[in-house]
Amino acid sequence: MRETILQALEQVYSNLVHMVAEFLPRFLVMLIIIAIGLLVAFIFKQMLRALLGLTKIDRVSEEAGASRFLRMAHLPAMSELLSRSIFWVTWLCFVLVGLSVLGVAGLQEQISRLFRFLPEIFVAIVILFLGAVIANFLSRTALLAAVNAGVRSARILSWSIRFVIWILAITMALEELGVARQTVVAAFSIVFGAAMLGLAIAFGLGGQDLARRSLERHLGDTKTENDKEPQPL
Amino acid sequence: MNVGEVDLLVGVSSRDAADTITHALGAIEQSFQQYFVRQRVVIVVVGSGDKDKRDGILEAASSAPSTRNPRQPGITSLRTIHRVTADFSSPPPPGVALRTVLAAADLLRARACAVLPPAANLSPSAVANLLKPAYHENFDFVAPLYKRHKFQGLLARNLLYPMSRAVFGCSIRELYSDEWGFSGRLASLCLNQDVWQEEAIRARPEAWMAISAIASDLRCCQTYLGEKSQPPTVAGSDIVEVLRQTVGNLFWCLEGNQSLWLDSQRSQEVPTFGPAHELTSETTELDPHRMFEMFRSGVTELEPILTVVLDPDTLVEIKNIVALPEGQFRFRPDLWVRTVYDFASSYHHAVINRAHLVQAFAPFYRGMTNSFLIEHSDSSPAEMEAASEMLCAEFELQKPYLRERWKANVEVKS
Repeated sequence: MRETILQALEQVYSNLVHMVAEFLPRFLVMLIIIAIGLLVAFIFKQMLRALLGLTKIDRVSEEAGASRFLRMAHLPAMSELLSRSIFWVTWLCFVLVGLSVLGVAGLQEQISRLFRFLPEIFVAIVILFLGAVIANFLSRTALLAAVNAGVRSARILSWSIRFVIWILAITMALEELGVARQTVVAAFSIVFGAAMLGLAIAFGLGGQDLARRSLERHLGDTKTENDKEPQPL
Repeated sequence: MNVGEVDLLVGVSSRDAADTITHALGAIEQSFQQYFVRQRVVIVVVGSGDKDKRDGILEAASSAPSTRNPRQPGITSLRTIHRVTADFSSPPPPGVALRTVLAAADLLRARACAVLPPAANLSPSAVANLLKPAYHENFDFVAPLYKRHKFQGLLARNLLYPMSRAVFGCSIRELYSDEWGFSGRLASLCLNQDVWQEEAIRARPEAWMAISAIASDLRCCQTYLGEKSQPPTVAGSDIVEVLRQTVGNLFWCLEGNQSLWLDSQRSQEVPTFGPAHELTSETTELDPHRMFEMFRSGVTELEPILTVVLDPDTLVEIKNIVALPEGQFRFRPDLWVRTVYDFASSYHHAVINRAHLVQAFAPFYRGMTNSFLIEHSDSSPAEMEAASEMLCAEFELQKPYLRERWKANVEVKS
């Protein structure tokens, strides 16, 4: 009996030593991969930061209105955001590769699924970012044009444009991620169609005079007296 | 046809002016026959379209009765008046047309040149007035001066002239005009600059040319041309385009010539040939109320943009005057100057898209115009001139503010 227990303990100890002996090198390899990843990610970050500094992307981002969104979200400037992103993405890839070296059952499957999903997440983020930039630019363009044409409630028009573009961008991003694809497309169609119908009815009923004046101004031979201002030059 | 070297060169753009180009060419030729009998001259017509048709116009212009001097029928030029056409597949923008004229002037070694519009009321004396200072007095840039209605040219009077005078130290009243004269030396200098692809230059190159002359210590002057031919009023929607071409262009010139004004103080006397200014005061169909309403609604609706563009103190004061009843509203000169300087520095720092920034300025121009129309409804030319001088002094006084804002490391607010 005592003999059997000792043998079992010896077996367990031997297995443990064997497992540790097998695991430790893999763990060390993982740490080395993560450390190298840290170094590579840092180099990438510095290189990208220098490159973006040369291309003056911060000024472009400022002009396009993207920086305003970043500030509202308490995010850093565009060049800093992109260089930090490349750092984390690069390092995350190395960490995942390192973890896969451990050979933990089930983990490898999850990691490979995550790797397959990464491009879609990246594309979704890019879609949202471009949506934000375009929505901001076009809504501001509409706001200024409406204000300078003397249109009342110019800000509502501007917000409507921003809202529609945001909805479109979010729908596209969710579709890219494959989240409830059918539902999202159907919901977007309903929301967008309802908004357009609402605007058409509102303009048709409430804006008859505005539409008539607008058409007279653009198609008529004479300009209304209200449009006359002193010659600026 | 071999033209050879010339003394005088006149460039005319035939763009959108098939009906008036004949008269303009006739007036130019008459000017040569009357005032520059012995000089070697050439007319460069820049345009697009049917070359045969334009050649026909040129032929007709040279033989038309209007080209003969009716008062002095015996006078004709002792030299051949050469005519050169420069054809483009589509109408060239003003900057491209000017570059063509400058290239011709450089090639033909012209001593004095002028760029003219194909206007129906172009007179031979006006052509001569632009060419004479450059040819006889060795001036390098000759700006025009006009007789016009007292409420015409308010953008030039309230912004372009006082600001360019304060910043560049050169009191050219009509920095933005369709006609001006220049020397062959300035033509060569401008031709060799690498700016011709810039949108600001393609749209309105004249102010940049004047500032190039100032920057190179060349001599500038102004000359009286008579009445400016344009209706006293303009459609409201065109104001934004005019602002883009002039105010946006001036801000662009400020940025491109920082070394000229940012850390130095220079002043150049600009001699004037003829009357300095002549104002008429016929009744016009203006609607100050509409302008005030557009100013008020503009400031209200554009507040998110103005928060980024204007200094917080300026914005507070703007909101205060917007809240006033229309009868009590006045755009004070000091506030107007600060607003303009805030826009200029925000343009420099590109706090928002620059085209948007200039568009956002339109309500302020309308507010200032309303204030000006009310304030000077009964003013005499002398009183208006005194007010203009006071505004120029205000622009000068607040120049340190512009420098400070320009140099500031702007932390843009969301």
